[in-house]
Amino acid sequence: MHFVDVVIRQAHPGPAVPAYHSLEQKWHDAWRYQQEESIPWTVLIDDLEGTTHQIYGGLADPTYLIDRDGYVAFYNMWSHVPTLHRAMAALIGRDGRGVVMGGIDSTLHLLPSITAGWRGLRRGLPQSFIDLETSAPTLASGTWLGHRLRPLLAPLALRAKPLPGPVRFGFAVGLVLLAAGIRRMRRIR
Amino acid sequence: MAMQKVEVARQLVSRDSRLSHDEYNFEHFRAKHLLSDMQATLEKRGVPPGAPAPDFELPRVEGAPLRLSELRGKPTLLHFGSFT
Repeated sequence: MHFVDVVIRQAHPGPAVPAYHSLEQKWHDAWRYQQEESIPWTVLIDDLEGTTHQIYGGLADPTYLIDRDGYVAFYNMWSHVPTLHRAMAALIGRDGRGVVMGGIDSTLHLLPSITAGWRGLRRGLPQSFIDLETSAPTLASGTWLGHRLRPLLAPLALRAKPLPGPVRFGFAVGLVLLAAGIRRMRRIR
Repeated sequence: MAMQKVEVARQLVSRDSRLSHDEYNFEHFRAKHLLSDMQATLEKRGVPPGAPAPDFELPRVEGAPLRLSELRGKPTLLHFGSFT
């Protein structure tokens, strides 16, 4: 399996990481991206207009699985590692050909973004934080909080593989019990 | 042949709706960017499953260019990500 990353525009510009006006600037950030995120695979640099990114939909954080013949096997519109893990396993199980898992996942997986997003956001401080918080109240502060709670959230939010069936069942039961408990407390009041 | 026509038409439509340099490289993240992403998600904007992945050639960080079609023969995970 090949792994390729394409560096796109600044999602959250700031004083130290302004919007791109030169390819050299983008190249420098791509190098830092590879170093700071310890990316072991190929990192490519899109042109300044984001031509390739825009042809592929222009979303903020998408991942495509492309089959061995060059066809789209799966489109994860908001990259989610456990979902990609399952899709990759399904694709390899089909000898690397064809569409897998219905071909598309458009779910906005917020918990991993909130838990891991601070790494990117903090590079553009303070502007990146102010812009995001005013555009989507609580999202920037939630990302900061997610970073602080990372040791607690990471096993669930940043897992590489899908949760095993019994664990998912346990979470579902826990949520039902929590909801029942809150309802009971409201009645008592 | 029909599939190729569909692909060419799709790419022409995309080219018309592509953002300009300044629209794409915004100086400030705004609510409209979030809403645009939400709309794109609802419309399932992008290359649909089963379609040929549009070929491109881009430079690696190390300098040498890579063409997507060179990777055929093995599945490829293609991620688009931002430094911020």
